[in-house]
Amino acid sequence: MAEKFDPEEVKQACEGYVKKKGALAFGLANLETLERISPPGCGPSSMLPKVKSVLCVGVGGGTRGAWSADAKTLAYIGDTETMAYRIAYGLAFYLEAKFGYRSIFVPPDMDPEKGARVPMQSMKLHAEVAGIGARSMAGDILLHPEYGMMYYASVFTEMELPPDEPMPDNPCPHSSCVKLYRQSGQTPCMRFCPVECLSGSIGNDDKVAEMNYDAHACAEMSQQYEAIPGVLLDTLDAKDPIERGMALHGPENQVIWYKLAIGAGELLALCYECMRVCPITQTAPLSNPIARGAGMRQKIVEAEAAAKAEHTVEQAAEKGE
Amino acid sequence: MAYGVTQQMIDTFGEIVFKLSLNKQTRRGDAVRELDFDALDAARDETGLTDEEITERIGLLPEQVGVVRVFTERKHHKIDQHRRIYHLGGGKRWKKEAYRSPAERLRFNEEAMMLREAINFKPELAARYIEDGYWINETLNGWLADHAQNTPDAIAILHPGGEVTYAELKSRVDHLTNGLLSLGLMKSDVVAVQLPNTLDFVVSYLAITAFGGVMQTIHMPYRDADIEFLLGHAQARTVICLPAFKDFPTAEVMLSMKEKLSALEHVITVGDMEIEGTLMLESLMIEGTPEIDNPPVGSDPFLLLYTSGTTSNPKGVPLTYQNMMSNARVSVAEFKMTSVDRNLSAAPFSHLYGLFNFHVALNAGATNVLLPAFTPPDLAKMVEATKATTVFLGPAHATAMINAGLMDAHDFSSVRFSVFSGAACPPQMMETYRDKIPGTRISQLWGMTETAGATYCRYDDAADIPVRSAGRASPGDEVRVVSPEDGKPLPANTEGDLQVRGCSVFPGYLNNEEANADAFTEDGWFRTGDLAIIDDDGNMTITGRTKDVINRGGVKFNPADIEDLIIQHPKVEMAAIVPVPDPALGEKACCVVTLLGEESVTLEELCTLLDEHKIAKNKWPERLEIIDEMPLTPTRKVIKGRLMDKL
Ligand code: SF4
Ligand code: SF4
Repeated sequence: MAEKFDPEEVKQACEGYVKKKGALAFGLANLETLERISPPGCGPSSMLPKVKSVLCVGVGGGTRGAWSADAKTLAYIGDTETMAYRIAYGLAFYLEAKFGYRSIFVPPDMDPEKGARVPMQSMKLHAEVAGIGARSMAGDILLHPEYGMMYYASVFTEMELPPDEPMPDNPCPHSSCVKLYRQSGQTPCMRFCPVECLSGSIGNDDKVAEMNYDAHACAEMSQQYEAIPGVLLDTLDAKDPIERGMALHGPENQVIWYKLAIGAGELLALCYECMRVCPITQTAPLSNPIARGAGMRQKIVEAEAAAKAEHTVEQAAEKGE
Repeated sequence: MAYGVTQQMIDTFGEIVFKLSLNKQTRRGDAVRELDFDALDAARDETGLTDEEITERIGLLPEQVGVVRVFTERKHHKIDQHRRIYHLGGGKRWKKEAYRSPAERLRFNEEAMMLREAINFKPELAARYIEDGYWINETLNGWLADHAQNTPDAIAILHPGGEVTYAELKSRVDHLTNGLLSLGLMKSDVVAVQLPNTLDFVVSYLAITAFGGVMQTIHMPYRDADIEFLLGHAQARTVICLPAFKDFPTAEVMLSMKEKLSALEHVITVGDMEIEGTLMLESLMIEGTPEIDNPPVGSDPFLLLYTSGTTSNPKGVPLTYQNMMSNARVSVAEFKMTSVDRNLSAAPFSHLYGLFNFHVALNAGATNVLLPAFTPPDLAKMVEATKATTVFLGPAHATAMINAGLMDAHDFSSVRFSVFSGAACPPQMMETYRDKIPGTRISQLWGMTETAGATYCRYDDAADIPVRSAGRASPGDEVRVVSPEDGKPLPANTEGDLQVRGCSVFPGYLNNEEANADAFTEDGWFRTGDLAIIDDDGNMTITGRTKDVINRGGVKFNPADIEDLIIQHPKVEMAAIVPVPDPALGEKACCVVTLLGEESVTLEELCTLLDEHKIAKNKWPERLEIIDEMPLTPTRKVIKGRLMDKL
């Protein structure tokens, strides 16, 4: 049986832990609300039956530089979601190790049994209910008034901790977006979505009245994994060997295999034979992590200092000083 | 089908399953802040359902929902959407009209692909031309655009109707390109042109090639049968022509071709005469800068010329920009052509020679002077009126002007350089021509449709070279003479079969496997069918045609010099010597002549002439045929194949 802890203190400790690891935002979602909003069989308890708390972590999105780069670069820089996952993964261990309550890092994956784009758990919903983001006109991407766009990860724990409230106000739509909408009938995100998958309306209260999102078109545009089965079917349907070859090896699709190969731990870059025979790789004193750990750096620094001192003495002797 | 799902089920339920799933999401209001759970429940269909929820809504098994959904998603899938990402960000904003997928933009007709498949260079040679800088990514319209931008006011064209600057030419070409695109023409589609050397020709040529089309030329003298063969073989989609030419109702004949040839869709006529069923070129002049989805690049074919067919049916010769542009670009320096030159082509643009010199002048940013149709007085007047500085002509053009005294009557002093090609150049005539223009230089050029300008004398060559030879290989090209027996290269100054290899040499005939099999050696040398001698300095002189060689009982001889002698007979107008089968010797020489006047000639009289010139007896013709008209190509070469068929 786990020890008794002050829930507020635990919450603060968790916040301290995740922020030290690089998170920008932290909050706890109201479990009841989550269970009520989630589709049947999709709430937190479907994953961890004795869940008592849902802890949410938000990490920052792209740098300013990334936002000004071309879309290809931005898309391949990808996002910082893996950082959010790492922090949440650590948090689950932290909760178990430090407080003794069973915890789980919520897998950020699709549920293969539930259908198109149905996640195992909606981390978007967790974060929103935890008050660290609010749904936007842009396909419900969460936005935060201070941090902008973030990536989120969640941890379920059997430890009961006090939940937070959702943000009282939704920063979306921004006042300038409302102005543009009144003029043109479109917000910036609607206007510039390349596949026109966003539409909707803003009410007289300047809040989102309706948001329509074509998730299929969005995913086709931006998530290449959607294309893999299509690529394979195209290969089978190809009219001639050139088309078939292009379906598989075309530069755009090649990226898919590259990423798959990385995922599968395939041979990717080097056979290393050139590096195996390179004297620098073989003799560099700190190339060996064990040597680095064994205080070799210090020894080298000392040896270098000694050699330098000797050299200075020799020079002085040559000059007859 | 899996789990009992039928295609009918997919068709019936697919769209509603797709719509109910998370593929399509609608949110009303702000659920998390409002926490109105009833409203939320009521709107679940809109926010997107799991397969299990869809099961409940429409009465299929969850697994069946999965199958139906997946197949419907596939139907909605537009492959390659992510390419759009490449057109975004970094200052680029999404503009719907600015993006078209490559699959949509880079389309080709089936006939166009057939033509493209005929472009078949040897990989190691292509690599060499690229590495050596001969083949680069350049196009005719790229050159035009450069001049229009850098020297917009320079005169591009001087023609009987006036002068046209590079900027004006570009604008006309843009307008016609818009018009041609409006007809649905696409890259590598063939557009045939039967026009004289007029501004309409130039604008048509540049507009056809601007959108990536391929221009097929049809020589002006060609009539119904030739035209039908050429348009049919090339699968031309459009033809641009005169309404009529002399007594030939061109437009009417072209329209009748539309009935016979399925690929032919449009007949465009120049001038202001409206002809039912044709489009007027002027009406296709559409203002604006053309938007070209599939722009031409260096490796594209852009010309489809046909051999004149002295021995067989004309053969289609596709040529790429890299072939022709490299040949013209390197020749500019060799001819010392500059932007101040005014270049006049007496040769028709329907021939390679005419186009070659047009390209050279265009590359240099010079002025092209247009002579719509050659007559000796017109050429002489045009030279004088335009102060042409470079003239590309044939020996017959010069002979006609000299004989008519036109070179004395007109001012030729502006001409600094004259290039002769198209037929053998009698040394006497070359010297006379040069003497008539003090200080001028002359050159001989040798080329074929298949080779472009393969050899020529350079501007700086010694004075005797152009009189006796067609000069050295053009940069990037090689010429050699090989033994007809074993195909081995022969030493200098030995007559043999001429072969050419190089950046300007065509990639193979269109749809003519038989001809392609014979055309090239293993290592990519083109067998020209000409006999030649190359001197120690690489200067090449054509001595005859391989196919004209007569094999009389094992003794082979080239009848060209004998023909030259027979033509000197006062009763003979034209002469050609062809082989006729002989049971004993295999072949015997038959001389075919047309007469100058009423008076006939006998075989004995001709042989006496040959005897006087000490021609070996075994080379004398053994049969004489007098005919009324010699079958000639438009370049006035005797079609010996037709003569042999008759005999
Ligand atoms: S409406 Fe404005 S604030 Fe909201 S997501 Fe779109 S662009 Fe951003
Ligand atoms: S396609 Fe791009 S712009 Fe459109 S909703 Fe998806 S992510 Fe946003």
